[in-house]
Amino acid sequence: MSEFAGGLWQEKISRRLFLGRSSLGVGTGVGTAAIATLLGEEAVGQQGGQRGRRPRARRVIYLCQSGAPSQLDLFDHKPGLVARFGQPLPDSIRKGQRLTTMTSGQKQFPVAPSIFRFRQHGHSGAMISELLPFTARMADELCLVRSMHTEAINHDPAITLLQTGSQQAGRPSFGAWLSYGLGSENRNLPSFVALTSWSLKGGQPLYDRLWGSGFLPTRHQGVRFRAVGDPVLFLSNPHGIASGLRRELLDDVARLNRLKLDSFGDPEIETRMAQYELAFRMQTSVPELVDFSDEPRHVLDLYGPDVARRGSYAPNCLLARRLSERGVRFIQLFHRGWDQHSNLPRDIRELCRATDQPSAGLLRDLKQRGLLDDTLVIWAGEFGRTVYSQGELTSTSYGRDHHPRCFSVWMAGGGVRAGTTYGATADFSYNVAENGVHVHDLNATLLYCLGIDHRRLTFKYQGRHHRLTDVHGRVVEPLLA
Amino acid sequence: MRAERVQRPGLCPWLPVFTGRILVTVAGVIGLGSGTTSGREPIGTVDFDREIRPLLADNCFQCHGPDERARKSKLRLDRREGVLGQVTPGRPGVSTLLERIASPDPGHRMPPPGTGRALTPGQVTRIRAWISQGARWTRHWSLRPIRRATVPAAPPGVGGRSRNAIDHFVQARLKRHGLVASEPSGRARLVRRVTLALTGLPPQPGLVAVAVADSGADWYERLVDRLLSSPRFGEHLARHWLDLARYADTDGYQDDEPRVMWRWRDWVVDTINDNMPFDRFTVEQLAGDLLARARPEQVLATGFNRNNRTNGEGGSIAEEFRVEYIIDRLDTLSTTWMGLTLACARCHDHKYDPLSQRDFYRLFAFFNNIPEKGTYRRNAPPLVKVPTSVVAGELADLSRQIAALANSVKARQALEVRRTELLKAVPSTMVLQEGPRRDTFILVRGRYDRHGEKVTAGVPESLPEMDAGLPRNRLGLARWLVSDRHPLTARVAVNRIWQQLFGRGLVTTPEDFGSQGARPSHPALLDWLASEFRDRGWDVKRLLRLIVTSHTFRQSSKVRAVDLKLDPANRWLARAPRLRLSAETIRDQALAASGMIVEQLGGPSVKPHQPAGLWKEIAGGASGAYKNGYQADRGAGLYRRSLYTFWRRTIPPPMMATFDAPSREACSVRRGRTNTPLQALALMNDTLFVEAARRLADRVAAGDDVSDRIDSAFAHVLGRRPTAMERRLLMASYLRSLARFSKRPGLGKELLAAGGARLHDPQGVAARASLVTTCHVILNLDEVVTRE
Repeated sequence: MSEFAGGLWQEKISRRLFLGRSSLGVGTGVGTAAIATLLGEEAVGQQGGQRGRRPRARRVIYLCQSGAPSQLDLFDHKPGLVARFGQPLPDSIRKGQRLTTMTSGQKQFPVAPSIFRFRQHGHSGAMISELLPFTARMADELCLVRSMHTEAINHDPAITLLQTGSQQAGRPSFGAWLSYGLGSENRNLPSFVALTSWSLKGGQPLYDRLWGSGFLPTRHQGVRFRAVGDPVLFLSNPHGIASGLRRELLDDVARLNRLKLDSFGDPEIETRMAQYELAFRMQTSVPELVDFSDEPRHVLDLYGPDVARRGSYAPNCLLARRLSERGVRFIQLFHRGWDQHSNLPRDIRELCRATDQPSAGLLRDLKQRGLLDDTLVIWAGEFGRTVYSQGELTSTSYGRDHHPRCFSVWMAGGGVRAGTTYGATADFSYNVAENGVHVHDLNATLLYCLGIDHRRLTFKYQGRHHRLTDVHGRVVEPLLA
Repeated sequence: MRAERVQRPGLCPWLPVFTGRILVTVAGVIGLGSGTTSGREPIGTVDFDREIRPLLADNCFQCHGPDERARKSKLRLDRREGVLGQVTPGRPGVSTLLERIASPDPGHRMPPPGTGRALTPGQVTRIRAWISQGARWTRHWSLRPIRRATVPAAPPGVGGRSRNAIDHFVQARLKRHGLVASEPSGRARLVRRVTLALTGLPPQPGLVAVAVADSGADWYERLVDRLLSSPRFGEHLARHWLDLARYADTDGYQDDEPRVMWRWRDWVVDTINDNMPFDRFTVEQLAGDLLARARPEQVLATGFNRNNRTNGEGGSIAEEFRVEYIIDRLDTLSTTWMGLTLACARCHDHKYDPLSQRDFYRLFAFFNNIPEKGTYRRNAPPLVKVPTSVVAGELADLSRQIAALANSVKARQALEVRRTELLKAVPSTMVLQEGPRRDTFILVRGRYDRHGEKVTAGVPESLPEMDAGLPRNRLGLARWLVSDRHPLTARVAVNRIWQQLFGRGLVTTPEDFGSQGARPSHPALLDWLASEFRDRGWDVKRLLRLIVTSHTFRQSSKVRAVDLKLDPANRWLARAPRLRLSAETIRDQALAASGMIVEQLGGPSVKPHQPAGLWKEIAGGASGAYKNGYQADRGAGLYRRSLYTFWRRTIPPPMMATFDAPSREACSVRRGRTNTPLQALALMNDTLFVEAARRLADRVAAGDDVSDRIDSAFAHVLGRRPTAMERRLLMASYLRSLARFSKRPGLGKELLAAGGARLHDPQGVAARASLVTTCHVILNLDEVVTRE
């Protein structure tokens, strides 16, 4: 690999100097992850100096539940609400806080208790809804946070905030920051892969920016693997060009480029030659990756019956494990369909059916292989849902509007404290009662698990040292192993 | 791109020295500073603006800068009085500033260890030297008036390597760095370079042949004039402007529904082709609606500020987004015309530059009266219908005919029906309009619902005042931007043009001319160009002509060993840059070289092929606007220039995104030029390039023999004949393919079916398929995707 790759050159120089390492971004080289460099002395000091400096997690699997799952029906048990069925939400709870214009015009805000049963699970006694039986069996692996909160009240700004640290488009996504900060551990695959799936007619749209690189060099953007057509865009050779011929043609291109390099001396030419070789290797490595025929039955069974349905959530979970085994740094799953403004009980059943077993199966599979120790798994949506019913409330059905003031997420694996439930909401699951965790705090904590001080992973653009956490965020110590 | 810096928290005592050395290394190599801070050289004259202000900005402004709320001890080191109050000129020993930064006592030393900032001993030495030398204070360079610099004499011995004033400036710097300009580039290569630079298309082989054979001394200047008058020029330059204007064919939020703004896009192409002076170009786009007796096209121009994303997501709060749109417009305005990072002042006073939050909302007030809803999808008022010149012509004809047929009701009716149809088909374009005046308030922490102090429209205090004669509205604001006294507009504009031609600006941070941005590599040249541009009628074509006819542009791009050693990043321009082409140019070049291109100026956006299913998988609107997913056009729409490709912001055309095109969600001044395996895959396998190879083979198949056909294909793409060695390698490639396709003719047929029509080839399937693969090899060469 060339030392002076034109446009790449400055970034490489500076990053190498500051991080003391060599890494070339999306699949362009193998980074030796000297990540401790990014974890400042001070950061360790602030944590009491007790913790080892070695990061626990080397990679991330982010199970993003797009559309915002209801915390009230999954993780935030509020048995006291049953007695308040149908009663108006007291003004003392709402305190005049803003609502979306989908319900701000409603005459009443009737309390809608969850119709689903909860019980405690595992040694930790985590309270989990009957909708998530498989996840519940992994309770002792989970670090459950019930006091998340965010600022945005609509999907687009909220999921953009969750994934990029800003409600407005234009910032790098979490995975792009990691690719930039830590580089790739795999020569033949990108360092950041996004996978998408949906239930119930699609749900909320997704946007390329959620795995985009913002103002970072574009090679840090996530590569979306697709379930239809080529898994990676433009991977397959055109009709009529078989692999043997492809190899020969690439050799011909390389010979001519070599001539050019000899006469013009531009190191960028050498980089391009290397990228063509990497592209050729991807033509083999990617099809192997997405071919599950080498997976034994008992492993497939962990992910549930949908694992054979290409493009659904279950095979994406299995693919996430296969990617993590191959050293891909950040694997981002998006599952759409959680935006349940009406008929929530009916629809959330379907969403849980499609996602519960695969999510839990992924955890179990990772654990069995010893991968969970250094893989950080996050399950999160962009905000929560209202305790009051949107539209008609009956004994069997209700809807819930967007609610940014509290929601629940879980983490598992490298660096987080297993078997913990952290934070609490007040009686109505409307306001955070204790230990609030903002999206920026979550991101700061996740970065910490990866050995990164969120204040030190910066990129200068438009005169500012930008960070994933903007100027906010604090590491939430009790969530750490 | 500037080096990012990992912010340094308090470190062990020995660490600052170490860190400092790293910083100096970076500064020396990349050119963050003057390269004189290492102490290796004797202390020369210390320039406050170049050396000292950046140190104060980095280390002190957080607490002693423009941000009033963050300010400690009422001390402002961003102002002259503040700095000079802390020093005694000529006497560092009694200067408070030095005493504090050099104090051995950590409790007394500045910046405090807890801030994570620290000055290195080398930096302290420079500050001491500056005080010793008299502590002369100067304004930040970009805020000083533009002064026409004296053109330096050409260094002796450069001979034919100096063609105009630009070369004098550049070579004066080269001499200082021990470098010399390169020899002139070969003619064929230069023709391709300048044609790509000015039109975004490769030269046709005939054009190159004529240029190479032209014995006139001014052959090149005449070529440049021809290119500047080609309609392709406007299309190419417009593309850069569309990045700034965040132009797209969709609204950008959630379902990302279609909008119709192509009439504005065509206005840009047309005005650039007509060489509208940049000051008028500015005024019409920011305030065309406010001009006296504004023509419809002048109102259309204000579509610039309706290209921002708009949110129609159910449940959204209208005022929240109306405010966001104005903020987006301010960000775009300040980046595009002033290179200022004004957006920082939305929530608080700017930390580094003299821009207060109050300044921000005074500018906000100029845009606060647009009668626009806060949440909407698709096109929403204010709107204007402006027919294209063709339609306008037909309408005028019809009106004349109708008037002439005053007596024949029946004949008139038919014409009136036609006129109504035509008028109905004219699309509405979103534009600006001035509605009832709204009060403007400082928004506390930038939040739409937290009103602070009431403010009136005005320009930032640190910039020249608006002339008393200017109206306090958008029109006045626009005229102020292009007034002679404005220090930024001309500098920022010429820097961007320079960036388009050389791949990087004289200021490498075109989006930031503030104290955190890069300093110009050639400050005198930048100012000379800026004054030349401003004082000679803001003539864009003239400026381009001046630059591309310089030796600096015309020299060879070969990388000599000495350049790689002394100036690997080519900051001093001892050679022309080799630049990877933009996404659009790579695609357009393939279309042009293969003869597929449909050169039609303007019109609604088109949908060329893209991999099936991309929209349906993730994007919104599947039940509404996009219920049929992505439907590629048939015929001409597949082969138009990429400028006209339908741009969906939440999922941009994949090949474009792969080659670093921005998403167009926000104003973008600078594209990356990455080099990735995904780009290799696109060039290898995207149907477009396979089809281009097939059509290129068609184009040259009539050649006498294989060698001739290969030469011809090569020339169509690269504007030159292959060298003997290149020809030999391509021939060998052809023969290897021929052997394969001869054994398996079925594969050859499959390849030939790619894209469109199949053909019966007298040369035989195997021969034709092999010619296709050889063309495809050519299209994949580094030189092809590079402006060399």
